[in-house]
Amino acid sequence: MNGREPLLLNGEKIMQPHLKRAFTLLALVIIAFIFVRSLVVPQSFGQYGWYRGDSVNEIKNFQVEYAGSAACGEENCHKTIYSVWAKDRHKTVNCETCHGPSEEHVGNVRIMPPPANDSRDYCGLCHFKRAARPANFPQIDPETHGENLKCTYCHNPHKPWFI
Amino acid sequence: MEISRREFTKIGCRVIIGAAAGTAVIESLVTNGSAAGESPKGEYDWNEHYWGFVVDTKKCIGCGRCANACKLENKVPFDEPVYRTWVERYRVLRGGEVKIDSPNGSIDGFTDDIPAEDIKKAFYVPKICNHCDNPPCVQVCPVGATYETKDGVVLVDYDYCIGCRYCIQGCPYGARYFNTEKRTADKCTWCYHRITKGLLPACVQACPVGARKFGDLKDPDSAVNKILDEERINVLKPDLGTKPKVYYVGLDREVR
Repeated sequence: MNGREPLLLNGEKIMQPHLKRAFTLLALVIIAFIFVRSLVVPQSFGQYGWYRGDSVNEIKNFQVEYAGSAACGEENCHKTIYSVWAKDRHKTVNCETCHGPSEEHVGNVRIMPPPANDSRDYCGLCHFKRAARPANFPQIDPETHGENLKCTYCHNPHKPWFI
Repeated sequence: MEISRREFTKIGCRVIIGAAAGTAVIESLVTNGSAAGESPKGEYDWNEHYWGFVVDTKKCIGCGRCANACKLENKVPFDEPVYRTWVERYRVLRGGEVKIDSPNGSIDGFTDDIPAEDIKKAFYVPKICNHCDNPPCVQVCPVGATYETKDGVVLVDYDYCIGCRYCIQGCPYGARYFNTEKRTADKCTWCYHRITKGLLPACVQACPVGARKFGDLKDPDSAVNKILDEERINVLKPDLGTKPKVYYVGLDREVR
């Protein structure tokens, strides 16, 4: 045999039967895979990337719990107390931070949020003296200040500097 | 084995065409093709936004109202030690030792259990999912149940998640947890159901001192961009290359 003769020539013309079987089987497996995949993978998978596109809107539709201070009183029911709060030092503390999430109450006034926590310890979450707090933040020593009375006895939480 | 130039070219062409066709078929299967630049249905267009978050550690007072509001807004179980956001307390003692704790994720506040004279410096660091632009948690998900949206929020598909917990292991910030009610991985969504309606995330709204700011990085006048333009900022573990989108003002070198 001449060394220059292409060896593949024979194999190209007639595919050997065992190869034919193997390739047919492979083709069937690929077709079956594509078929099963089309049934199992959700329609929106791959719409925007390698994930289920519908899940974005599912997450967007979750229930909102916190309505925001504007919903309470900017031009609504609690206008008076809102205008007091909005001018005073606690204006950075939103209504629902103390009064609790109230979106349900905004939608239906008969559903009342639980009453605001006016305990000494609740005020203390922000105002008891703690080493890690910024030094310029108003803090009291609970041992010496207020004789263990409720803070609201002297301080109006909506207008903390005057009763 | 010898092979003629003609044969070699023939085989080469077939291999190239076959590979290209195979890739095209797989590509068309995986991406439904059509909707590449589109936004999911609704008024909100995610192409117009790219969200970012700023935490000012110098302002945080450790009241834990953020962590509390987050659990209420997102129905995270209160009786389990899992948090989407929490506040850590760092205390550097006179001896040089650093104590880090976050009792109940800060929801019940902090009490001083080390005398003030033993503490060199102390501060609070609020933590939250960093919504990385190169998120390791998304890379490791075997089923495509977690992803980054076009507007830069990393979400979990609760229907598709198989609960294998790889992502919880993969997150270098410990921001993910296992939700025992849904039997899936779970994490902060930056309150995606709120921000897409024009509201602020619950933790940002609940913060009484404005230590948390949220806004659109695409809007040059947003609350977040104003701080990024003016302050000296850093992110957590920048060396990991995760490209976090939660930026910290006043970050100490002890913070991990």
